Amino acid sequence: MARGPADPEVKAKVLEYLGKVQKAKSRDVAVAIGATKSDVDNAVKELTAEDLVEYLYITTTFICLKGKVQTPS
Amino acid sequence: MAVLDQGPPHYKKMLPPIVQENYGQWKYHEIPSPGVLKHVSENGAALYSVRVATPRLVSIDFIRDVCVIADQYCDGFLRWTTRNNIEFLVSDEGKVNPLLAELEAKGLRVGGTGHSISNIVHTQGWVHCHTPATDASGVVKAVMDDLYEYFNTMKLPAKLKMGLACCLNMCGAAHCSDIAIVGVHRTPPRINHEVIRKGTEIPSLVASCPTGAIRPDPKNKSVIVNEDKCMYCGNCYTMSPAMEIYDPKNDGIAILIGGKTSNARTAPSFSRMVIPFLPNTAPRWPETTEAIRKIVELWIANARKGERVGEWVERIGWEKFFSMAELPFSDMLIDDYIFSRETFRTSASFKY
Amino acid sequence: MTEKKTPLLDELEKGKWPSFVTEIKRAAVKSEAAGELLQVLERSYNERRGHWKHGGIVGVRGYGGGVIGRYVDEPQTYPNVAEFHTIRLLQPSGWFYNTKALRTICDIWEKHGSGLTNMHGSTGDIILLGCKTEHIQPIFDEFSEAGFDLGGSGSCLRTPNCCVGPGRCEHACYDTLEACYNITNEFMDELHRPMWPYKSKIKFSGCANDCTSSIARSDCSVIGTWRDTLRIDQDAVKEYVAKKFDIQEMVCDKCPTRCLTFNASTQELSVVGEDCTRCMHCINMMPKAIRAGKEKGATILIGGKSTIVQSAFMSWVIVPFMKMETEDDFEPFKDLMRRIWEWWDENGKSRERIGETIYRLGMTKFLQGIDVPPVPQMVFRPRANPYVFWNQDDLDRSGTALDGSKL
Repeated sequence: MARGPADPEVKAKVLEYLGKVQKAKSRDVAVAIGATKSDVDNAVKELTAEDLVEYLYITTTFICLKGKVQTPS
Repeated sequence: MAVLDQGPPHYKKMLPPIVQENYGQWKYHEIPSPGVLKHVSENGAALYSVRVATPRLVSIDFIRDVCVIADQYCDGFLRWTTRNNIEFLVSDEGKVNPLLAELEAKGLRVGGTGHSISNIVHTQGWVHCHTPATDASGVVKAVMDDLYEYFNTMKLPAKLKMGLACCLNMCGAAHCSDIAIVGVHRTPPRINHEVIRKGTEIPSLVASCPTGAIRPDPKNKSVIVNEDKCMYCGNCYTMSPAMEIYDPKNDGIAILIGGKTSNARTAPSFSRMVIPFLPNTAPRWPETTEAIRKIVELWIANARKGERVGEWVERIGWEKFFSMAELPFSDMLIDDYIFSRETFRTSASFKY
Repeated sequence: MTEKKTPLLDELEKGKWPSFVTEIKRAAVKSEAAGELLQVLERSYNERRGHWKHGGIVGVRGYGGGVIGRYVDEPQTYPNVAEFHTIRLLQPSGWFYNTKALRTICDIWEKHGSGLTNMHGSTGDIILLGCKTEHIQPIFDEFSEAGFDLGGSGSCLRTPNCCVGPGRCEHACYDTLEACYNITNEFMDELHRPMWPYKSKIKFSGCANDCTSSIARSDCSVIGTWRDTLRIDQDAVKEYVAKKFDIQEMVCDKCPTRCLTFNASTQELSVVGEDCTRCMHCINMMPKAIRAGKEKGATILIGGKSTIVQSAFMSWVIVPFMKMETEDDFEPFKDLMRRIWEWWDENGKSRERIGETIYRLGMTKFLQGIDVPPVPQMVFRPRANPYVFWNQDDLDRSGTALDGSKL
């Protein structure tokens, strides 16, 4: 993961992309928005701390907008 | 707001003074009696570790109880081992016997050192796992009750490390144990199409299958399982409760033996299957305890001093083991997965 | 609290081995959830099947793991364990504790959870078994305040662990406790924020006895070793002889490389250092007389994992010897891990452990990818087939023109 504060532009693009999908892997987000995966991972780190994004574990780890994917009932 | 990423508590705060003073200076150790280790440092300091069995699944009351003992005999310091036993760390030799007496009075079991059976490393089973083919804690309890005489003595040919995994995923290093108890599913998942239609994400479900046995069935808005490809791992059940993998009539236990992870003498080795199936006879699994006892006793009677189970079997030959153990050999014991060929006998020399 | 009967489980309170049923019953005195767990478990014993479902979406702010969602399959029947999540806490190196730390864990867990724990999980964490979703953040906040942090779960670096090491073992060839602590702290992002194809584990064992079973159960095994010759104390050898210990049978005859010779008349033990493979057998047998050499470090092995999916793998050697003495020595290890994870992250498929990725793509590609030179210690024996992938550089170097001149 990249060190230091995340690029605000990458953070905005991650949020925008996650708004369009249910959930995604950070590698796919990186490809879709044209950023490096380590920059996306770093952006996601800050976005989760800001409570805007969360991680999901469904056989592997995904990310999604906070609250977008519901717990299986 | 909680502190993020502060990491584990610093181990130095957890070390008793005698360990801090002799850190990295230990010279040798002895086992004065089963369950008691004596470590001596370069400057002559002696640390006694008294090893006590735990069921691994313990209540906070249990932890508080052992804290009281540690406060009284060990200046408030203790540790857990890689095999889920507790070690009371006693720096005052005079406190060792009183501690042993107190442990005895409290019903805590001392042992598991040297040529003995240590605790069985195990998984969650019916207590907490979502894909178990058997229970974990209950089988361990039944087997350890039966083999207890080998826990608090050191009369085995070598150490005996056992592992239990409650399904074929084999969490818990059962795959390299002297004796491994492995929960096995033997039938493919049953699909509840209605539950799938109600909200399972089909692409994720299809992707969850490690062998590609699940494919979408668009007509039914559900999935189809190619039963020939299914290896009963239960990953799909993780994705969707519609894929019921448990099967009370057919789930049970397999026994594998001869694995080890230490490099001493021989390279680390995998455990090998010798019994493909034993029934889940809860609550005390008599078939399993009996099968394991037979193998342990055969090993005791025939191994050379210092030979672990796998070293003994490899010396006499697996074909000899099956005849001595009077265990039936079947096609189920011949590997037909990815790395099978290396297990075939490419030599014309063998025993009967 | 429930008064329902559990006749099958009660059978497991008999016998000499400590009973987990007794432990659940103790917790049930204070926790309705623990009481209901007993009911669910008794039903499992009757029906011979489990009753738990896995769920993905429970966590704390800022982290992607550390909590494992768990739900009972009949929430109406068992409302107190409808949510029964597991929390993983990073354990102190070597599982050493003072009683104050342990009581803190108990007090917080009593307030918010079932009162049941695993000491410890297979990976090494302190496991707290069973709490409701609404308690997760408060539990984390309080543990954080008390100096504890969450362990790993999901596709991340799982909680590293280590053997007792120099804390209480004469065999430790490097400081496993410090290495585990230091390196765990270095990789907090990798541990708390899952970003990889699947899980990745590191275990630290101080010698080749490998008490953490790192070779079988971790993607990266760090196993203590030495590079020079083991040291023999001849006076101590004579003491073993005096105690009727059969050095020839128990030590020399079992040495895998037959590099030890015992002279019965002089009562001296000698070693051919260059033949020794440092397996630990003789040192285990005669700890007072034989010890490791002076040039100590660790062997780094990669790829270990359990059975699912492509069979169990044991880790294999990628760096025969790495110094591990000081904090500065950890840097090359950390760099190596970063290169390894980066290669895996780029090349691995979803749910593929690094050993499987290397097996699929080949050791050659892996070694090139992480910039580690091939050495014979990496293999038991070289390949038996001639199917080498030649690259243009090799061809340019080794090809010859028809007139015999270099190309």
